[in-house]
Amino acid sequence: MAREIVIDTVTRIEGHAKITIQLDDDGQVADAHFHVTQFRGFERIVQGRPVHELPSIMARICGICPVSHLIASAKACDEILAVEPPPAGADLRRVMNLAQVVQSHALSFFHLSSPDLLFGFDAEPAGRHLFGVLEANPQLARDGVGLRRFGQQVIESIGGKRIHPAGVVPGGMAAPLASETRDQILAGLPEALAATRRALDWYVSEVRRFEEEATRFGAFPSAFMGLVGPDGTIEHYDGALRVVGADGAVLAERADPRPYWEYLGEAVEPWSFLKSAYWKDLGYPDGVYRVGPLARLNVADRMGTPLADEELERFRGRLGRTPSSSFHYHQARLIEILSCLERLEALLGDPEILSTRVRSVAGINREEGIGVAEAPRGTLLHHYRVDRDGIVQWANLVIATGHNNLAMNRSVAQVARHYVKADRLTEPMLNRVEAVIRCYDPCLSCSTHAIGQMPLHLQLLAPDGTVLDERHR
Amino acid sequence: MNDAGVLIVGYGNPLRSDDGFGWHAARLLAADPRLAGARVLTLHQLTPELAADIASASLVVLVDASVVDDAPGSVAVRSIQPRQDSPLSWSHHLDPAVLAGLAHALYDHVPPIVLISVAGAAFADGDWLSPALQRALPEVVDRVARVVEEHAYG
Repeated sequence: MAREIVIDTVTRIEGHAKITIQLDDDGQVADAHFHVTQFRGFERIVQGRPVHELPSIMARICGICPVSHLIASAKACDEILAVEPPPAGADLRRVMNLAQVVQSHALSFFHLSSPDLLFGFDAEPAGRHLFGVLEANPQLARDGVGLRRFGQQVIESIGGKRIHPAGVVPGGMAAPLASETRDQILAGLPEALAATRRALDWYVSEVRRFEEEATRFGAFPSAFMGLVGPDGTIEHYDGALRVVGADGAVLAERADPRPYWEYLGEAVEPWSFLKSAYWKDLGYPDGVYRVGPLARLNVADRMGTPLADEELERFRGRLGRTPSSSFHYHQARLIEILSCLERLEALLGDPEILSTRVRSVAGINREEGIGVAEAPRGTLLHHYRVDRDGIVQWANLVIATGHNNLAMNRSVAQVARHYVKADRLTEPMLNRVEAVIRCYDPCLSCSTHAIGQMPLHLQLLAPDGTVLDERHR
Repeated sequence: MNDAGVLIVGYGNPLRSDDGFGWHAARLLAADPRLAGARVLTLHQLTPELAADIASASLVVLVDASVVDDAPGSVAVRSIQPRQDSPLSWSHHLDPAVLAGLAHALYDHVPPIVLISVAGAAFADGDWLSPALQRALPEVVDRVARVVEEHAYG
């Protein structure tokens, strides 16, 4: 008898989702789906608003990565104004974006995933939380809290607020950077760097415990996509969009990534509010590609900073040039934090960052604009059309979690096929199904345009909808 | 008055009417000469990284709106005792007592923490306060100043 397992909702992710696992007549997993069950509709909300309001409105999409939306939105507005921000304005945007990657990755690795990595996927859920981490490894817990605090403070000191900051405006930044603020940020960098290196050493010493999961958690060949700088280094603010295949060979490099419709398709499925982006050349649903920290490491020739390049070498030395398992998002996240901290140091060490020329001012000069940047979870595109008065007529957002949607579904199915047995529903089994999703650190607030308590609800359903088994936690 | 090391946190959602009471109060508290040495923060929610700020303070005063059956605008003052629960979701929001527990567990120190909460009346979209909470603002500012003063001379 064909049956279906439903995990509703998934815990320790940003937003609400559920997972259904379809069993065949033999009780084996036939397929699995990751459903995003919330809808927000920012593309419609902004219609009729003046374009200058968009960065502030779009930052409200997410409390974790508001800076990414600010920046992609402001870049789209720059194009509508037909201006480029002055160098210091662009660099201050970079500083805020790098700080956000630090705080968001710290949240994902230390707060959401470290309990699994510390206690293992078979541990009782009652102990898999921050206090449990504190008891078992206080330094790891302190480092996580400290890194997130550092990133938040950088954002707050430049953007005025740590959640939904302002400061990034069409044409550049609202205000220059004060030397006192720069010095405060620089003073916090050595400890942030030390905390990241401790976490990396701990992770590398522990990761061999998870060799089995690493071969099952989204371990399949796919393309990877991300921005790179002119010298092939990892990039978060600007640059060319590079796509590499599973062997690391460059499949495409778009010097101008803005006409995304030429290379990306967006499919809609009736079972989810999350769009499925796919690589057009490969069609749907075969055009699976991944974005985010692992993808950025895989597309880049190098990190471009000394400590992060050492870690990249260690990473590739152990896993090869283009690691294909999504389990390795965890280590990629830590290496990227290191890279961001080093880049922050370089940007803030340049006296030009204190320039008072941070904004280019102009009126409405174009009726269309596209902004592309790297958010913590991957490539982010904002696309607006306005009328001659600058009133928004249409908007489309292509969000990192949407790029990863096909890969997440394939990963859930892979984990379910290996771990889920039809005759019993066990906690370690369910945790692994959820954990593979956490590797991608999906942000459903972003991708569907909710927060709240996220209890796990699992149902085993007969084809006629009868609940055969049910669990809550 | 010696209010060095005093941390005042007004928190809530400033776009949900009375839920933003802490932000309105914080603006007045930051400008109050009686609290000149205090550090005043505004936050949407209490999150884990605030534990470091709490552990390094000599006194923490939290100002928030509450959803209770009391008359709108009525003010409650209570001391927070650290608790080490295991909330399912702690990345977005922590209870004041759990945050105090986290500060203790992380940094082995928790100063006195006082929560001043005001019963809200309206939590719909909007950046304004209901009349009852507008009227409560001066009382809350005075209560905070009194708590800080009692701490300084206590």
